[in-house]
Amino acid sequence: MATFHCSEMKKSLVILIITLFAFSANVFAQSRSGLKINEVMVINENNAIDDFGQRHAWIELFNSTHAPLEISSVYITDDKNNPIKYPVPLGDVNTRIPKRQHVIFWADGCPSRGTFHLNFTLKPGQENWIGVYDADGITLIDEVTIPATLCADQSYARSIDGKGEWEIRNDVGDKYITPSSNNVIRDVNNKIETFAKQDPHGFSMALMAMGVVFSALLVLCLSFLLISKIGSAVARRNKRESQGVTAEEVKGNLADSGEEIAAIVMALHEHLDAHDQESTILTINKVRRSYSPWSSKIYGMRRLPK
Amino acid sequence: MEQSFGDFIVSNLTQFWEFTGFYNATFPHFVMLAVGLFFIWLAIKKNFEPMLLVPIGFGILIGNIPFNTEAGLEIGIYEQGSVLNILYNGVSAGWYPPLIFLGIGAMTDFSALIANPKLMLIGAAAQFGIFGAYMVALAIGFAPDQAGAIAIIGGADGPTAIFLSSKLAPNLMGAIAVSAYSYMALVPVIQPPIMRLLTTKNERLIKMKPARAVSQNEKIIFPIVGLLLTCFVVPTGLPLLGMLFFGNLLRECGVTTRLAKTASNALTDIVTILLGMTVGASTQATTFLTKETIFIFFLGFMAFIIASTSGVLFVKLFNLFLRKDQKINPLIGNAGVSAVPMSARISNNLGLEYDPSNYLLMHAMGPNVAGVIGSAVAAGVLLGFLA
Repeated sequence: MATFHCSEMKKSLVILIITLFAFSANVFAQSRSGLKINEVMVINENNAIDDFGQRHAWIELFNSTHAPLEISSVYITDDKNNPIKYPVPLGDVNTRIPKRQHVIFWADGCPSRGTFHLNFTLKPGQENWIGVYDADGITLIDEVTIPATLCADQSYARSIDGKGEWEIRNDVGDKYITPSSNNVIRDVNNKIETFAKQDPHGFSMALMAMGVVFSALLVLCLSFLLISKIGSAVARRNKRESQGVTAEEVKGNLADSGEEIAAIVMALHEHLDAHDQESTILTINKVRRSYSPWSSKIYGMRRLPK
Repeated sequence: MEQSFGDFIVSNLTQFWEFTGFYNATFPHFVMLAVGLFFIWLAIKKNFEPMLLVPIGFGILIGNIPFNTEAGLEIGIYEQGSVLNILYNGVSAGWYPPLIFLGIGAMTDFSALIANPKLMLIGAAAQFGIFGAYMVALAIGFAPDQAGAIAIIGGADGPTAIFLSSKLAPNLMGAIAVSAYSYMALVPVIQPPIMRLLTTKNERLIKMKPARAVSQNEKIIFPIVGLLLTCFVVPTGLPLLGMLFFGNLLRECGVTTRLAKTASNALTDIVTILLGMTVGASTQATTFLTKETIFIFFLGFMAFIIASTSGVLFVKLFNLFLRKDQKINPLIGNAGVSAVPMSARISNNLGLEYDPSNYLLMHAMGPNVAGVIGSAVAAGVLLGFLA
């Protein structure tokens, strides 16, 4: 009994360790590394206005993942020596950024104005370093150094949301300044446009897609040819070892088809006059008729006055 | 000014009258109600896929009861917060199809395929129906994403069609789903003439070697290796392939019988009811009776013909490279479409028609279940290219 418990405990321990490992990997996968600094404006003269009707420097954060991201308790700072300068407060529903969406933080030095107002300002005409730290205050999630040359109403932005090279934008041509919206504005699905242009008749699609479908099933087919060969070899070896027969005899026996095996089993069944074991227990269930006042005769009868 | 009692009664009754179906009915509503009744008739009287056509047919009736759509009564399937809209979320967000695939996996015996893996290639060849229909759809003038969503009808796989159309062309999903299920029900009518046309009498008489017995270990390895290989090639097929192979592992591993039973019976039944009913209800006359719907039905028909043809022709081509004792009867080529087990049954019936001792059912089940995998892979490819 003690041995049984010991082995059971060992088994449980192994399962627990594997589960913990799996969960820790999962936690890592869902960390806030997907949070990116996406666009920054230092001197805001004619650009976005905050909820108090005023213009300030702003920092746009972008959730580059395809799942909502909760950013409360991360830190935003402009000081490498003080990574926990501005903690994003808990308890504000707006700190949950939907997938592939943005939030704007105002660098106005007035944190009392709300969650999205930082307790520092950005310095015009100087290099500004901005960092975002995770809740531990140690893990740097993202950082950027804004060049001192950035003029009024210019922004420093990633060319592609969340991952592109940083560039100066001045709202001329396609260098849009885009507070709280995508840095790359698309009005069409590029993939579909490309297919419509490059492959108007669908030949390339048919060729590529059939190639992939065939490859996938061909790989599966070859794998199973291999697996069945390995399986047969193992079965032959086991039979050879257990029955002491030659390889040729084993090969002949293994070639039996399902139909042949079924025929042999049927013949044995007939010959031995064997039957399945039956329990010989007869169960009689009571038949219940469910009662309902709708079908009850008593309610349909006239009652005698008392 | 206070209303008189009579005016009060009249104004309320007038308002009530404006809410009724009689007041709001239009000709397209009656057309769709007739379509719903036709589906129910097909299912009950002709026994065409009753498990699908009864829920879809009745769903069409539910979805086409005329009512005042501007009243904000939250009863229509497209009105946010309505009961039907909540049930429809499984279709629009695409989570019913993977659950159906879980059930299919738990119901399907892949032995025929494991015993003769080369039959998988027939399942792959039949997917040309999808891409042939894609080309025709482009020629008609559909955009590539819409063409891809419509073309998947050629896979003869309702859940896959719904899954893909919910991602690529949600506005066409109702028509695509109804078309896919309608043609799946009509497989016994569509496929036999094509099979007869493309095969010679000698080919129809080919007797295939009985399949070898498959070990339990092979059956357990199949879903695991199948998942890893196919999803490494096409990760976009993961929701469908993952659930398909998971269901199959539940069935074959031998230690999760209860789970396999639930997945293959209760769960599949529940999801089929909800899926069929909501797909039917999504065919509201105002959104369904359009020129596009007619094209979609035409393209679906084309897709089925191309898929069946390519399956049969591929077997004939394949036979050129096989030894005489390993030849494949081309009558199982049609089973490459994933209408399980209907198309395999058609192969068997046609085989028996020409040789009463030639049972092709188990051989045809190989390409048939390969078709399920193939259509899920094809859906993944289209999603990867066009989403």
